[in-house]
Amino acid sequence: MPERPPVRGLEAAIGERRVLVVCGAGGVGKTTTAAALALQAALRGRRALVCTIDPSRRLATSLGLSQLSEKPRALPLHKLGVQAPGSLHAMTLDTKRTFDALVERFAASPEARRRILDNRFYQQVSDALAGTHEYMAMEKLLELRTDERFDLVVLDTPPTRHALDFLEAPERMMSFLDTGILRFFLKPYFVAGRLTLKIATRTGALALSLVDKYLGLQFLQDLSEFFLAFDGLYAGFKERAARVFELLRDPGSGFVLVASPAPLAIDEALYFHRRLVERSMPFVGLIVNRLHPDPAEGARSAPRTAARLDPAFAGKLVAVYRDLRTLARAERRGLARLEVDTGVPPVLVPEFETDVHDLRGLLEIAAAIVGGVPLRARRRAAVS
Amino acid sequence: MIVDRLLERRLVILSGKGGVGKSTVGAALALLAAERGKRTLLVEIDAPLEAARYLEAPASGGKPREVRPGLFTVNLDPRSVMDEYVQRTVRVEMFARRVIESPIYERFFVTAPGLKELMVMGRVMVFEEERERWSRKPKWDFIVVDAPATGHGLSFLKVPLAASLAVPIGPVGANARRILALLRDARRTALVVVAIPEEMAVVEAAWFHDLAVDEVGIECAAMVLNAAHERRFTDAEEAQVLRLTSERAGGRLLREVDLGAALVAARRHIRRRKLTRFYETRLRRALKAPLVSLPFLFAEALGRREIRTLADRLAEA
Repeated sequence: MPERPPVRGLEAAIGERRVLVVCGAGGVGKTTTAAALALQAALRGRRALVCTIDPSRRLATSLGLSQLSEKPRALPLHKLGVQAPGSLHAMTLDTKRTFDALVERFAASPEARRRILDNRFYQQVSDALAGTHEYMAMEKLLELRTDERFDLVVLDTPPTRHALDFLEAPERMMSFLDTGILRFFLKPYFVAGRLTLKIATRTGALALSLVDKYLGLQFLQDLSEFFLAFDGLYAGFKERAARVFELLRDPGSGFVLVASPAPLAIDEALYFHRRLVERSMPFVGLIVNRLHPDPAEGARSAPRTAARLDPAFAGKLVAVYRDLRTLARAERRGLARLEVDTGVPPVLVPEFETDVHDLRGLLEIAAAIVGGVPLRARRRAAVS
Repeated sequence: MIVDRLLERRLVILSGKGGVGKSTVGAALALLAAERGKRTLLVEIDAPLEAARYLEAPASGGKPREVRPGLFTVNLDPRSVMDEYVQRTVRVEMFARRVIESPIYERFFVTAPGLKELMVMGRVMVFEEERERWSRKPKWDFIVVDAPATGHGLSFLKVPLAASLAVPIGPVGANARRILALLRDARRTALVVVAIPEEMAVVEAAWFHDLAVDEVGIECAAMVLNAAHERRFTDAEEAQVLRLTSERAGGRLLREVDLGAALVAARRHIRRRKLTRFYETRLRRALKAPLVSLPFLFAEALGRREIRTLADRLAEA
């Protein structure tokens, strides 16, 4: 493997790319990392926006704000005593509103628009269901990409069990809304508002009768109305989905993979890395958060025996030391595995003394990610 | 005892932010229930390897399998649950296969938002309602569901409510209402929110708790503060750690243990212990449920021994 400092790829990406998608398993510090990357870009003179789709408002937490809205909000970097030539904005995504806006934009007529927005099925699916968040995030990304106010958009992805649900959401959504089969399936039999089972194939009839039996006719009518109303939207949606994929594969975009050093998180990161490569997505770097310190590293190895301590106390000290070493060594083995399998040395962010949940804490992470940004003020401990 | 009250229920759903250790808590709770003589089923959702890893058992399959005496695991893969549902509904196997293989089924059932979640919750309800053929006694005394991380976990809990509104009539609507009734029945069902002593996990636990309790109407019977750093030094010893650090005390504690290095580890422990206490207070203020704290485990990987430790700690709670 060629010798190369691990931060280079990531550092270049922060300076040059226009879209950074931050992904990884839940609980690895994705949201915080996304905010830190955007902050680092702002410190380098870029006009950065960090966008989260997480409904639980975690980005707000990590920025030390009580709330974020759909409207990008500027963060007061100067108050930190940090000279940032660029700017940092943050926002959160409202899935339902993005969906509504999309409907407004592509609906064939005001009448069709109202039919969709008032539709019961739409009201249920456009909200909190799996897949919609991911799809709408992609949709928002297209919009933000062309926003003149920002030259970098950092997108935090939702916590999914299998991180790549996120990549597949647009495809799944498209397949659900696909013109061909669904329209064939629904249109001819529902326009009259009643169900007839004269379908060309027997299997089709059976499937349809199952739908009727188990979902009920009312639901079917809502559903068919929904799809009929969506009629004019298919082309627009399809075109948008295709553009999202183009955008993600674009050399101006980059995927940053975030992991924690726990064995499970390493497995997931490896899996996700493979999928990115398979899909030829531009992978720019790997960040491992919250690495435990190895107490043996940098220890002064004085040959003499320590001053006499109470044996019980000394015993506890040894136990605490050994516990931390066990953990640190296991983590370093995981990191080695990560580097061998991906061929990329991970960027390591150490565990901090306190929990990071404000802008000042983010500065420490931002500095750890690329190194070299001096910190004026040390962070005050949150608890003492 | 908190855990006794939990074990009185028939269905416990675990939820929390990703990475907080829901699966380890679930495995420990299921192990404890089985040891107390309950025929226990640990349900994983689309994650066949988690319980396997922690209980050192083979990967969970689509049918319950006994991995320890009285402890069964099952993995609900949403697609298989849906196929199984069709097979049960369409009794003629040839037709069932044709439905499952038809593009309409593929497009409609598989991609319809929420349907998979509803099917999975429906399957959990069927487990809860299952009775022995002759005695009519419940087949399962205790069911633990390891729900997906919060974002999607909420979908699982909310889908029955959404579906009962969107599908007012027909068997799916009726089933959605039955599932909802089960979730809301505090004698049978409880939610356990899991967090770790970190800002975001605590914020998310509180957020999830409020939505689940207020919107879905499920009772939160306990919260678990997992990976808690528990006090290991007395106050005097902690003071001594700080004093020795400021004196730059050096030398060897043992042949391979440097005092300076041990003090680094000890100071880290003290900080983490204080953070744990800080977040414990935050959790207690944010959530009304009783709190159980489980220790951070310094192990290479979590396996049976560690789950045993957690189960013992749960038993004391």
